[in-house]
Amino acid sequence: MNMKIYSPEGELMDEVVELCSTAPLFSGGKIGVLENGKPNADLLLTKIAEGLAERINAKFSIATGKGERANAATACNPQVVGMLAEEVQLVLTGSAD
Amino acid sequence: MDNNGEMEVLSQFLELSDEDPATIYELFERHGWGDGLPLVAPTDKRVTEMLSQVKASPEEVLAVLPPRGGAATCRAVAVNAVLAGCKPEYFPIVVETVKALGNQKINLRGVNTTTHPVAPLLIVHGRVVDELGFNSGLGTFGPGNRANATVGRAIRLVLLHIAGAVPGPGDAATQGQPSKYTYCIAENQKENPWESYPKSLGFDSESALTIHCGENPHNFHDMESENIERILDKAASVMTTFGVNNACISGGEWFIILCPEHAATAANQGWSREDVSNYLFEKARMPAGSFREQFNLLAWADWMNSLSDKDLVPMTQQVENIKVLVSGGAGKHSCVVPSWGMTRSVTVPI
Repeated sequence: MNMKIYSPEGELMDEVVELCSTAPLFSGGKIGVLENGKPNADLLLTKIAEGLAERINAKFSIATGKGERANAATACNPQVVGMLAEEVQLVLTGSAD
Repeated sequence: MDNNGEMEVLSQFLELSDEDPATIYELFERHGWGDGLPLVAPTDKRVTEMLSQVKASPEEVLAVLPPRGGAATCRAVAVNAVLAGCKPEYFPIVVETVKALGNQKINLRGVNTTTHPVAPLLIVHGRVVDELGFNSGLGTFGPGNRANATVGRAIRLVLLHIAGAVPGPGDAATQGQPSKYTYCIAENQKENPWESYPKSLGFDSESALTIHCGENPHNFHDMESENIERILDKAASVMTTFGVNNACISGGEWFIILCPEHAATAANQGWSREDVSNYLFEKARMPAGSFREQFNLLAWADWMNSLSDKDLVPMTQQVENIKVLVSGGAGKHSCVVPSWGMTRSVTVPI
């Protein structure tokens, strides 16, 4: 005898995702990397920064971590943020595992 | 019909060829569903009866659960409550727990997907404990009590099916832990020498629930001591370990679940639960240098980072993170439940 049962998963929520507005591309200017402490973040982000710099005629200027005693779970040292804000116009950061 | 005599029709429903429990078991196994234990078939009749216990519409979304982003509608949660073996009268507790899991403070995405063995511990307080037959005494962590076992299991099935916290694709816990099957206890207010835990937080409702996302309970026992300090020294010895996330994440909480006898010893000495927390905050410490030897990365409060290597560091950054409540029966065993660290417990009135 057939019996009908519910699926346990329910449905996925329709999530409306809005992309943030894109930064205008600029040529010239300086790019920095703020690696977030995830494995190989420095390597990945540096490679992207170098490629981007070549593409938009910018200069890859600086790569830094979040500061002393910071790690992937902690916020960036405010001094590092301040230094980057003074030094570059575009920062690449963020890398997942 | 497929070769197994089953026909999958619409996404909401599945058809089984027969009522044999093995049939649903095998169907769920093929889909990667279930927790590995036998299930109760969520027929329309059973789900409807479950839903009749709450006023909410079956389509009401109680929470959207990560990492899958599944909509935990009342109906979807009811399906999982049936699967778990809940009695219909338990359903309001399951509903309120799912709603509470949506609180951002819990950080359910992290809790569900981390490599750490962490599960939401549900603690039920107040009038509903006796009304619904939860076990707050001997064996509160299990096994044996239907309310504790099935309500905890319903929550896990919700996390597996709706939230997608499946080992591998959604849940990266390296080894998992038994409390990922079910993790539900009740506060033993009858034998609690202090006000209830929710009342200590300022809640005045007759019933409440607390969710604390942590490891399996870490036992400590003291059969001999007539003073609370010696009992809590054992709790402190359990807490001072490098093996928990509380060691490297100073914002993590601790739940100290005292058995009635240990709580009575404290109260007979004139200690409040705050006194217990204060004692453990002072006692459960290790030199800062030893943490620095063990960890390259420490997510510590600034004041802890500024300590010298010889200074003793507590296992959490503030005494308010050490939460004390009473559960269990006779026998002089209590336990400590370490936090995953990047989560905060939540207590809600119900």
